[in-house]
Formats: sequence, C-alpha cells, structure tokens
Amino acid sequence: MAKKRSKFLMIWVITAVVCLFLFLKYASPKIFQVLMAKDHPMPTPSTLMMWYMIMGILAGLVYATTSNQKFADFLGFLLPGGGPTIKILLQKVLFVGFPVIVGWFVYSWAIPGAASPVELRIQHPTLPQEFEKLENPFRGADAETQRKSIEEGKILFQTYCRPCHGSKADGNGPFSNSFRLRPINFQDPGTIATVVDNYVFWRIKEGGPGLPSESTPWDSAMPSWKDDLKDDEIWKIIMGEYDTAGVMPRQTEKLE
Amino acid sequence: MNNLKILLNLPKRSIYSVVLLFFLSIVSFLPLSQNIFAADAPAEAAKEAAAPGVELPQFEAGQAPASSQSPEGQPAGEAGTATAAVEEEEAGPVQYRAFFGIDSRVIVWIVSELHLMFAAFVLGVPIFAVIVEIVGFKGGDIKYDKMAKEFTKLLSAAFATTASLGGLLGFCLYGLYPEFMGHMTNVFAPTMYIYALMFFGEAFTLYGYYYSWEILKGAAFKKWFHIMLGVMLNLFGTGLMFITNSWATYMMSPAGVAPLTGKLLSLSHAIYNPLWMPVNIHRLIANVCFGGFVVGAYAAVKFLGSKSEEERAHYDWMGYVGNFIGVGALIPLPFAGYWLGREIYSSSPVMGNIMMGGAFSWTFIIQAILIGMLFIGANYYLWLGMGRIKGSERYTKFFKYLIFVIFMCFAVWLTPHNLPLSGEERAMIGEQYHPFSKYFGVMAAKNAVVNLIILATFFSFLIYRRSNKGEMMPFSEQGKVGKVGIFSGVIFCLLMLVSYAISLNFVELEANMKVFVKPLIRALYIQSFVICLAAYLTFRNKGKLGQAILFAVTACIAVLYFWYYGFEVMQKANLVLRYLSVTQVSIVMSCLIMNAVIDIFMFRKAKLVGGIEWGKMPVRSQYALLLLCVVIVILMGLMGFIRSGLRMDWHVYGIMQDTSQWAYTPSLAYMGRIVGLIVALFLGLVAFVFWLAGLGDKKEKAKEHEYGEVSAGYED
Repeated sequence: MAKKRSKFLMIWVITAVVCLFLFLKYASPKIFQVLMAKDHPMPTPSTLMMWYMIMGILAGLVYATTSNQKFADFLGFLLPGGGPTIKILLQKVLFVGFPVIVGWFVYSWAIPGAASPVELRIQHPTLPQEFEKLENPFRGADAETQRKSIEEGKILFQTYCRPCHGSKADGNGPFSNSFRLRPINFQDPGTIATVVDNYVFWRIKEGGPGLPSESTPWDSAMPSWKDDLKDDEIWKIIMGEYDTAGVMPRQTEKLE
Repeated sequence: MNNLKILLNLPKRSIYSVVLLFFLSIVSFLPLSQNIFAADAPAEAAKEAAAPGVELPQFEAGQAPASSQSPEGQPAGEAGTATAAVEEEEAGPVQYRAFFGIDSRVIVWIVSELHLMFAAFVLGVPIFAVIVEIVGFKGGDIKYDKMAKEFTKLLSAAFATTASLGGLLGFCLYGLYPEFMGHMTNVFAPTMYIYALMFFGEAFTLYGYYYSWEILKGAAFKKWFHIMLGVMLNLFGTGLMFITNSWATYMMSPAGVAPLTGKLLSLSHAIYNPLWMPVNIHRLIANVCFGGFVVGAYAAVKFLGSKSEEERAHYDWMGYVGNFIGVGALIPLPFAGYWLGREIYSSSPVMGNIMMGGAFSWTFIIQAILIGMLFIGANYYLWLGMGRIKGSERYTKFFKYLIFVIFMCFAVWLTPHNLPLSGEERAMIGEQYHPFSKYFGVMAAKNAVVNLIILATFFSFLIYRRSNKGEMMPFSEQGKVGKVGIFSGVIFCLLMLVSYAISLNFVELEANMKVFVKPLIRALYIQSFVICLAAYLTFRNKGKLGQAILFAVTACIAVLYFWYYGFEVMQKANLVLRYLSVTQVSIVMSCLIMNAVIDIFMFRKAKLVGGIEWGKMPVRSQYALLLLCVVIVILMGLMGFIRSGLRMDWHVYGIMQDTSQWAYTPSLAYMGRIVGLIVALFLGLVAFVFWLAGLGDKKEKAKEHEYGEVSAGYED
C-alpha cells in the first residue's frame, strides 16, 4: 500500500496544494464570516494568498525531496509506462491541466483591467519629534484627578469621537458604515494598546492630514482637531478613550 | 568593445590595461566628477539648527538651514566648490565631508557592514574552533583536531581583512563625520586606547594559536597551553566586541552624559548603557551562528569540488558540524533578539514603535522570511542527512508532520499586522484588519510560533541523533553517570524555573497589573513539575514517555496558552509582557535542556543499527548549506541597517542630531540595493580570502597523510 502511495506522490502533493488554495479562496472567507459574525465574507487578501500559496508549494517540494527515493518517486510519476490505468489517466490530466492552469494565470495577470494599486501601508508612522517628549499630565496624577479626567474625557469622547468610533470605542459608530475604511476599533489589542499616550495625542491633534505619505493619509477620514480642542481636552479624551475601550496605553518601562 | 579586446589581448600590457579600465570605470560612475578633489562637500554648509530643547554647545550653531539641502540626498547643487569649502573650513570646525562626491553615509554603511561581517566570522569561529579542539583532544580523535585547525586557517586569512576594513572604517568616520567623531572621542577616548591594546592581544593570540598548532602537539601540557591560547583569543575577541558595542549602543540609548550639553558625566554609564548588554549577548550568539553557516558553506563548496571519497567524507562531516553549530546558535537567537527588542522599547517607546510598527516594520517582514528560510534550510539539511544513516527509516515518517508544523509556523511568523491591500480588498474586508493579520500579526502570535519552530527543529535534531541507535540499555543499568546526569539536568532546570517564579512574586507593579503575573508563576510551577515527572519516568525506564509528556506540556503552555494569554496581557497590562516572554523562553529552554539530557543518557549505551556513511549526501544538501550562508549574510546586512537606522536623524539619539544631507531614512528599495551590494561584496571577498588561504594546501597535502585515514570511523 505504502509503495503504491509513493508512486502517486506527485499527485498527493498537487492535491495538498489545491486543497490549500480552495481553503484560502473559498473556505476561509466563510469561516471568518461565521466566526466574526459578519454579514459579508472576509476574502483572503491577494498578497497573503500569494505568500501562503508559495509556502504551500515550497512545503510540498521540500517533502518530495527529503530523500532520494521520494524524489525519484515524485519525478517518476511523469515517466511513461507501467502502473495502473488511473496513473495513465492522471498523467494525461496533468499534461493537459498544468499548461492550462499556467496559461489561465498568465492570461488573468496580463489582461487589462482597472484595479487600485496595492499599498505598503505603514501602521505606526514615525512620531514627529515635537510630540516625542510630551507626557500625559493626567496619567501620573493622583487618583482623584485621574478619575475626574477620565469622566470628563468620556464625555468629550462621546461628544467628538462617538459618531465614528462608537460609544464603546469599538469602531461601530453611527457614521462608521459610510467610510470605505472603517474607523479603528480601539478594543482591538493591536491598536491603541500598542502605542504610548503621546502617540494618540499626535493622531488626534493632526488627524489624517498630518499623516506622512507612506501611511496613506488619503485613506484616513480622521479630522485634525488642533483648531477645535485644547491640549488639555485632548489629553482628557485619551484618558476617557482608553477607559472606554478597556485597554491600557503602552507604558514606559523601567530598565533592568 | 573592440578596443577593450585589443587592450586585453596585449599580454605585456594586460595588467596596466585592466588597472586603467578599472580606474576609468570608477571615474565614470562618479556623479559629480568636478567634486572629486573637493575635500569638503556642500554638506558643509548644511547644518540645521538643533532640535528644540536640545542644546549642542560642542557644535557650531548658526549654519545654513536644512531647507537648503536636497531632499533626495543629493549634494546641494553648485553651492559648494572646492574653494568655497576650503574657505569655510578655515572659518570654523568642519562638521561633515563628502567622499569624492559620493554619499558619505553609504560609504560608512558599506565599509562598517563589511567590517562587521568579517569581524563576526573572526569572533564567532574561534569559539567553536577551541571547543572542537578540546573535544578532539579529550576524545583522542585526530579528525576533530584537523578540523579545528582548518577553521583556524580560515580565521587567520579573514583576520587581516577584518583589520584592514576596521582601519578603513576608522578613517572614513573621522574623515567624513569629524564633529560626530569628536563627540564620540570626548566620551569614549579611554576605551579607544584599551581597544587598540586589546587588538594587539587578539592579533598575537590568533597568530600564536594558528602557527603553534604543530609545535604544541604531543604532550598534554603542550596541548593545554595551546588550548589556553585559543581561550585567550576568545577573551580578547569578545572584549573587543564589547568595547565597540558600547560605542554603537551609546548612539542608540545614550547614558552617562548631560542630555542638554552632551558633556560626559560618567564613562561607566556611557559604556553600560541600556542596550549594551542585550546587544553584546545577541551579537555573541549571532557571531557563532554566522561563523557556523559560513564554515558550512565553505565545506559545501569543497564537497562539491571533491575528487576523492576521503575528501567528500571529510567535507560532508565538516558541513554537518558547521550546520550543527549554526542551528545550535540559531535556537537561542530569537530569545536574545526579543530581549534586545524589548530593551529598545524600554529605552524609547517611540523607537520601539518605529521599529515594529513604523518605518522599519516592513524590514521585519523581510527578516521573518529570512529567519524562516534559515530554520527550513537547517531542518532540510538534517532530514537529508538522515539518508546517510542506516536505521533512520524508522523516523522518516515524522517528516511530513514536521514540515506541516514548521511551514504553518512560518506562515504565521511572516504575516504582517498591516497587510498590503488594494482599495477594492479594503472595501470588501470592510475594516482595518483581516482576521489573519489581526491574530497572526502581533507579537503574541509571533512569539508562540517561533517557540514552536524551535521545538520542531529540536525534535528534528533528536530524531537525527537517534537514527543509528537501536535497542537501549535499561536506564536502571546505566550506572551512576546516568543518574547523576539526569539529576543535574533536573536541578539546573528547577533552579531556572523556580527561582524565576519566586522572583515574579516580588516584581514592582501596581496591584491591577500584578494579577496578570499570577498565571505566569503557575505555568512555571507546572513546567517544574513536568520536568520532575519526566526525570522520574526516565528512572523507571520510560524515558521516551517522559520526553513526549514534556514536549506536549511545553507546547501547550508556551505555544497555545501564551498565544492566547499574550493577547490578554497586550491589551490590559503591557508591562507584564516582558515577564511573559521570559517565562515563555524559560519554559521552552527547560524543555530543550531536559529532553537533550534524557536523550543523551537514555541512548548512552544503545546498540548501533548502522554507521554513518559520510560523503553519501545528495548534492542538493550542499546547496542547502550554501543557501543558509547567503541567507545569514543577508540577514546580518538587514539587521545592521535596522539597528543603525532606528536612530533616524540622530547620530546620538536625543543628544546629537544628524544635520547632514544624508540624514533621511532610505526607502526599502534603496536599502535592498545597498544591502544586496554589501552581501555580494562580502561573499566575493570571503571567497577570495578563502581561496588565498587554500593556496598553500597542495604543498601541505603530503604532510597531511600523517593524520592517517580520515574517511573511516566518523561519528556524530
């Protein structure tokens, strides 16, 4: 049985790669739709698709070449003569199917079409120097001042930020559906929890227009609040925002 | 083209012709030939006013604003002629100079990286050369001694190149960045003298070690003296590296100077700055890894060119040792790297954000791909190596599972948090993060999978060393050595785990944060218990079961549980992350140590199923070794760029600003070109140096016969 299976090693490897493709293309968007309770599928981005497929093919080739015997079996499938009818049939499918698939890929890439370019977006652009040394005056204050600033901050947050970022700071405000790129969900541990207070201060103060070009400011609808809010108010909003989202800002650590 | 042929066909003039052509081609590449002899570039006039709040009394104020500089990093047009530059030099101290019209920073970048790569080889190789020599001496096996000498031969050839590049780097730095180097000299002058003196020590011990090899053979005391020379060589080498690391890390996390004036307050603090020790440890391990893979590639080239079975067997074995050393050092490297990363975050959260989420985040994706390739290449070589061991067929069934685990981990490891998306995809996903990037893109996931890759690689190594081992002797009959060995392993692991668990009880954190530390303490105690259980099962002749339980529990805690718990801690108590990562590392390390100890003693007197047929390796395995070498060189080039580039436009972060026209962060494409050039230069140079070192081999071949037959009796 094992001997018979080894004769079809190439077919097994191809089947595994095809299964991976089908999973990424069709199964994963549906699975994530269900798991994340979305009303639409979550398609696998083309960049990830390409990376994962390259790795899948590489894994198959690594497996097929881990021994001389396997390598010979792998390539031996293509040799004529011998073997059951199913092998001859699969050979023919492969000889016809492989060029067709390659041709289809070449055609799909080469055919003229309109698509926006893929952007290498930078998540946390470099904090400008003038914001680097700032400190949140309320973060280190006594408990009473902190409590007050959080309360006031929450009110300010609900006034100015809620329409987009939502009353729970989860990115589900009443306006959120109107943006192509939804407002950030602050409850996500990969967002404001990974940056320091002054970073958020910069983002609120300068907004999307203050982003450098590599952070695609044209994608961000975040307004600049420097003309509408005082610095103190922004710091209070930050206090209220973190509290509402239930996360903590990155804190400067003591060096060991 | 015809002229070129005519020139090259003139044998008597060929050398002059080539030199002339080379000179002309260099001149034609210079962008501004009129600036060739201008000592000081227009950059001279490009000093920017210091950053707000940063007073720089050592530097001349009131120079032309930065706005007069070209944003593309080109020299500022026609502003600077040789005469103007000379006049300006007379007017005040020189801040920057250009290198014959070429970007000074690129020159320093290339020279320093080449110097660093050669230095890594020169510092890494002696560490394992001495260990191999000791193994050969204690075991009485001449082939180890021969290989250690061959390593050292490469070393002595590379040392002169390292020194020459070091000299060139020094001249470049003092010539092109005089004011910055003035500051560095003000702070570090005493250490520079010590550095120079230690360099003598390094040179004397290195050449003494190599050239006394044959003289100090024979009597035990002579050999020990020779080994002592090797140890001294390592001490001098490590000392040299530590000194230079203090200069480099001071630039990233300065300490011991007045922030506003840059005046030296404490030299010891400037040396022992926050990033000094993490970089020391990281570089020490990385040098061994680098040396191992470069030696592996050397052996692969020799293997591919071998004309006899003997040679093939020798270089196959050498390649195996090179790969073993490379992988051995690669396993703790992510831990050391993570520690360094955390200390960068600690010394400056902004620098940390630039590193992992900002301008340098994409370089870390490239780094992830390269590290993944290292692990895959190293495992692939081990699996292919099992083909030359009789009895390995029993373990080949694990390959598919290992490949699945390693590639899955690799996929998570390289998934970025922020995906490159087209506008249409962004609209279809409808939010910032796709679930793949949301759950795979953050450090909690990365740490989990890198630990799993390490465990899988270790498992590959375990099955490799078991391949030719058959029936085991019951542990109860192993005698005292086995019992003492296992007991020592348990004590070591318990000391590591329990002492850390106890220390976690006393960390200075607020009460709301401290609750997040409790699960870590529990995890450490559970692992301690499982270590004891594995040892107990080994004593009861069920060592394999003990190993399996240890592997399973470690994977559950360090990979699955900490993957989940990392998310929890990340959003609620980021200060606990550093304790979580140390706990994770301790648990994985304890598993590796204890499983290795159990394996060694369990199979100590096992029957051999068959020998290892050295030299019977498929050719593709040697290309895997070459790939590993190229990848580690690219990786070192890339990481050098990241470490240095993180300072952005500061010479000394927060203290002395880089106001030259080259103080911009290069784009990824530009970085890729320069790092590619550095890699090509290094590989070319190292091939040339090794070729030179091998020129004398033919004459020595006759002498080598006295080492006896080398093809038979190789063991792992």
